[in-house]
Amino acid sequence: MNEIERHLARAAGKTTVEAGEEITAAVDLVIAHDVTGPMAVEQFQRIGVDHVFEQQKVVFVLDHIIPAATVEARALHNSLRKFSRRFNTVLYDQGQGVIHQVVAEKHNLPRGAIIVGADSHTCTAGARGLIAIGVGATELAAAMATGVIDLEVPETYEIRLEGKMSPGVYAKDVILHLIGKFGTGGFTDQAVIFAGSGTAGMSLHEKMTIANMGIEMGAMITYFSDLDMVGPVRETFTFDLAAIPPSVACPYSPGNVVPAREAVGTAITQVVIGSCTNGRLSDMEVAAEVLHGKKVHPGVTLIIVPASQEIAQAMEDRGLTKVLRGSGAMVTGPGCGPCFGAHMGLLTADDVAVSTTNRNFPGRMGAREARVYLSSPRTAAESAVAGEIVAPGTVAPLDGGC
Amino acid sequence: MGVAEEMDDWWKLSGRVWLFGNNVDTDQILPGYAMSAPREKLREYALAGSEQPDFAKTAKLGDVIVAGENFGCGSSREQAPAALHEAGAGLVVARSFARIFRRNCINIGLPVLAADLLPYVQQGEEISADIKEGTICIAGSGSLIQAKKLSASVLETLECGGLINKVRRQLGLGI
Repeated sequence: MNEIERHLARAAGKTTVEAGEEITAAVDLVIAHDVTGPMAVEQFQRIGVDHVFEQQKVVFVLDHIIPAATVEARALHNSLRKFSRRFNTVLYDQGQGVIHQVVAEKHNLPRGAIIVGADSHTCTAGARGLIAIGVGATELAAAMATGVIDLEVPETYEIRLEGKMSPGVYAKDVILHLIGKFGTGGFTDQAVIFAGSGTAGMSLHEKMTIANMGIEMGAMITYFSDLDMVGPVRETFTFDLAAIPPSVACPYSPGNVVPAREAVGTAITQVVIGSCTNGRLSDMEVAAEVLHGKKVHPGVTLIIVPASQEIAQAMEDRGLTKVLRGSGAMVTGPGCGPCFGAHMGLLTADDVAVSTTNRNFPGRMGAREARVYLSSPRTAAESAVAGEIVAPGTVAPLDGGC
Repeated sequence: MGVAEEMDDWWKLSGRVWLFGNNVDTDQILPGYAMSAPREKLREYALAGSEQPDFAKTAKLGDVIVAGENFGCGSSREQAPAALHEAGAGLVVARSFARIFRRNCINIGLPVLAADLLPYVQQGEEISADIKEGTICIAGSGSLIQAKKLSASVLETLECGGLINKVRRQLGLGI
């Protein structure tokens, strides 16, 4: 068995499992947010049990549309508040941050623990060696009631990242490059283990960025190993990090990836830095380093969204928020921000945006025709100053560069 | 008609085809701006962000969505399959599905079949399917296409009318 199979076997109370086998696995944490959670609690109540399987293991985070942009959104918040009071579940209310960041900060779980989340980016938690599986509201409701989930053991693939990233290249460029190579359905229903010398030197932030977008290759599970040998897998792919260029995903798919230099010169009207992909402190440090003493291009709206309250506080403490605001950026409260097109920065058909978020599907951030390019915070921040897409190093020198 | 025969009929569906291409994501099926809509209004937004935004207005009960690869990629939002179901869709056939979307469909009792129908059907054409056998019959040409058979567990979920009823049955709460 490989690492993932060993964790799934343990969770299923079995000595071995193999790919394709149907198992029932015990879950260690069940999470949902203000868009999926209300439907989950509605379904939970249809089941008709009078308690959740374990109160401290059922977690709701209000992050998608907070503060409420509509009366309906407020009603969604209230439904989770009411449910949490009644069933004594855990609620992160009042804008604590994006679910995957808040869960990472507040819930320390051992490697191999199983998280089931009603959000496709639940796979972010694979960065810290958790088996994190995204589900819909009904499956979440079933897990809330029973503490288990039915799964088919996935085929496992290994992606080995070797060496070091070049200056101007970040974890986001690595995952965009991989999505470009494997496609948006490249690992559908399958598990991906990241390993190799290049991962050993990566920070948790970087691993979270990569694990986060595993779903953009269709993966059921993305997982960072801390072992040299992950065990038997279906196939191993090896990438030299030094050969990966700064990359962007062009409209209208996260799989439509080109080296950033090929998109240079594209005029832009908005930049978003934030989200569960790239809203962490190290991302904000990169943005602030670029924007220090510079002004955002007058034709660009720069929106910066810290991924959590903890990050927002650290940004204040280190003077980053002041630098970012000083450049002309709008720094908002923590949450999902404009990532999914419900509020806080919608685009018209004429707009072109660079965003550090994870999706650029048609209509993702507003009008169906609006064009969104996905990039690293570095490329995004430099492009915000230039008013067009530029490669890292164009408006601010790279560390170790000339 | 005996119980067994009634059950056999239950697995048989027919409807008009709506054609879609590859990589139709959940933002196209149910846009982000509609995610806070109450359940009874979801149907109005079904496929509102797609190339056929009129689907919700003109879909009839039992209509069949036929698509290419990776249908439903993206978000875990169950509002997406729920909107299709509420708007009348009785079956989704795609060459392949994104995992969470496919499971969401089954969990709410909306059957899905994996088959490549795009080369064989036209928009608006009538097709019929036997969900249990995984067979699809195209009325016009009379072609019979075999989809990948659904697992016993999936068939049980569909038979219960969705996962909630299945869990109720497992917990001895009745359906």
